[in-house]
Amino acid sequence: MKKRLMLLAVSAALAITVMILTTDSTLAQNPPRRIEVTASKFSFAPAEIALKKGEPVVLVVHSADAAHGLRFRELNLEVKVDKGSKSEMRFTPDKTGDFVGHCSVFCGSGHGGMALTLHVTE
Amino acid sequence: MRCALLAVSAAALLGLLGLLALRGCKATPPGKLEKSVVVAAKHRVFIGNRRQKNPLSATPETIADGKEAFSHYCIACHGMDGQNTGVPFADRMSPPIASLASEDVQRYTDGQLKWVIDNGIWPSGMPGSEGTLSDEEIWSIVVFLRHLPPAGSQGEPEMYTH
Repeated sequence: MKKRLMLLAVSAALAITVMILTTDSTLAQNPPRRIEVTASKFSFAPAEIALKKGEPVVLVVHSADAAHGLRFRELNLEVKVDKGSKSEMRFTPDKTGDFVGHCSVFCGSGHGGMALTLHVTE
Repeated sequence: MRCALLAVSAAALLGLLGLLALRGCKATPPGKLEKSVVVAAKHRVFIGNRRQKNPLSATPETIADGKEAFSHYCIACHGMDGQNTGVPFADRMSPPIASLASEDVQRYTDGQLKWVIDNGIWPSGMPGSEGTLSDEEIWSIVVFLRHLPPAGSQGEPEMYTH
């Protein structure tokens, strides 16, 4: 009888553990936050984005006119987008701070002023 | 005091007009004296930002970044190698386009090179690139200028090859 009770207890504990793990992995599989960004001569819209450290994110960069790029040197991230097309930048911020990205494909006289700032907080 | 300033300005203007009358508007090469005076004035007086340090260190990546940024339009006058290779008018401008590998250019500090790229140099024809290129790109170009490839090793700008 005692043995049976022990077995039941172990089984219950296992079941609970499996449930917790399953719940966690379901959480982990939540889709990353998607943020649409439009690149056009000579700006990004939005020009500032607030992010949480550890929160997976996808920046979907659309080109409204010419070919553009978006590069965050400090984060070692870069994406290029063809004229009238879109590209995705997937990442999970692993440090807090302000990170300024610039257009990385030369697009004309205001190219140097195209910037997008990420504000990453805890 | 005001009269003296006016007189000096008028004399300078007359001198300039006299020089123009003698030389016309032809793009003739500067003489040795003119060149040495202008080079000294640029290094010591006119080109600022002497003390600013380059925030980018020289790595293969930043040199490659600088080379790419340089290729956006600097190559039209300076060639792919920064030494005017293949630029048909390099010697026919007044002043002629300097080789960026020359001692006159390499003697500038990194901060001064940034200043020149930001603001251009009047009346050489060198345009200012502030806003057209990002600060990051300009600093990477400064890194590239310190690590220029051998003259002629990069071929000629495509715009002059067909």
